[in-house]
Amino acid sequence: MSDAHTLDPQQLRDWLDGAARQDAAAFRSLYDATSAKLFGYALRILGKRELAEDVMQESFVAIWHNAGHYQSHLAAPMTWMTTIVRNKAFDHLRRGVDAAELDSDQFSAELMNAMHDPAATPIEALVISRDAKALAYCMSALEGLHRQVLGLAFFHDLSHSEVAQQMALPIGTVKTWIRRSLERLKTCLEKAGHP
Amino acid sequence: MNLRDNAPLREKLAAEYVLGTLKGGARRRFEGYLHNDAALRRLTTEWQDRLQPMAEFSTPQQPRKQVWEGIERRLNLRAARASWFDSLNFWRSLGLVSSAMAALLAIVIGLRMIAPPQLDYVATLSDDNARTALVLTGDAGRGALTVRLVGNAPVASDKTLQLWAVPKQGKPRSLGLLADRGEVRLALTSAAIGDDVALLAVSLEPKGGSPDPNGPTGPILYKGAWVRIM
Repeated sequence: MSDAHTLDPQQLRDWLDGAARQDAAAFRSLYDATSAKLFGYALRILGKRELAEDVMQESFVAIWHNAGHYQSHLAAPMTWMTTIVRNKAFDHLRRGVDAAELDSDQFSAELMNAMHDPAATPIEALVISRDAKALAYCMSALEGLHRQVLGLAFFHDLSHSEVAQQMALPIGTVKTWIRRSLERLKTCLEKAGHP
Repeated sequence: MNLRDNAPLREKLAAEYVLGTLKGGARRRFEGYLHNDAALRRLTTEWQDRLQPMAEFSTPQQPRKQVWEGIERRLNLRAARASWFDSLNFWRSLGLVSSAMAALLAIVIGLRMIAPPQLDYVATLSDDNARTALVLTGDAGRGALTVRLVGNAPVASDKTLQLWAVPKQGKPRSLGLLADRGEVRLALTSAAIGDDVALLAVSLEPKGGSPDPNGPTGPILYKGAWVRIM
């Protein structure tokens, strides 16, 4: 159930508010609307279903307990929840569990297409939140290799030197690409009306 | 190095912290700065909002239903989910009533400080159309709870009415079974008038009372709140 409208931030905020009031039904709705996205993300980081399932459970237990501390003026609800999943997933990795196999295809195929050629595959049609669409649009304006460097770092928690090794590039090049890509993303998102 | 006055560096570190490429000692130092620097925290949150949506670029995958069951078990949500909680508008109205009750309780708790120790309670329980069906009076001194039906509330011969104290959190507590007419006297215990009681409710149950020790199994017919009187 990852319908586009169920990722409406206001709806997610309402459900988080409900969870903060111990409303089990609201919490279930939140899970139904976001679990496929979050599980896909955990699986992308961890590569193994059993590990990703553990991380999902830990994450939702944390979401239930911390929903009262979620501050909607600070971060979008999906940002808040994906950050929790990300931290739990990398905790697992640091406990010595093997990381997912690194591959160059960091993103879902349809999103890859959309970012390669937004004219052919409209980003608007993707079932992702508005924030993710804006980011996809801005990332489509980056060069393919730069996009790949960002994806490697983000999804696999790699350092500059690990990215350099993975891509067989000089570390200085990786640092420069990352710095410039981040600056460009910021400028592009600001133009799109994102802070 | 004075991070506070170096805007481009703050921006770069916050972005790379979120991306994950800030590692080791530099990452720990940055987290140290975050503790004492609200503006830096805000900057970092902005970068989270920019980059974290990349998480949604992974192909969605439906987790097995065991995942939700595990969460439910760990958080002990199952008891709350059963029967009446999700089937009735009651749960929704409870939210409204609870906040009103919380305010009332605050007053009640405040009053207790200055009030003489012997206090009495009264509650009127109403149906969904706000018609009063039962009047409850509590005598804290004698530990007696009297439930009086206003008119008749006929129930089928294989059913019975059961009175519950609904706490602000956790499971409802049974206070006893009611007759379908006249007056019933029950014990007034802390289960009924504890400060955590948000609401009183009457459910329709099989003869002998709810088979579920954790709460009602039938519909909630009447509900209302305690009011403390002097």
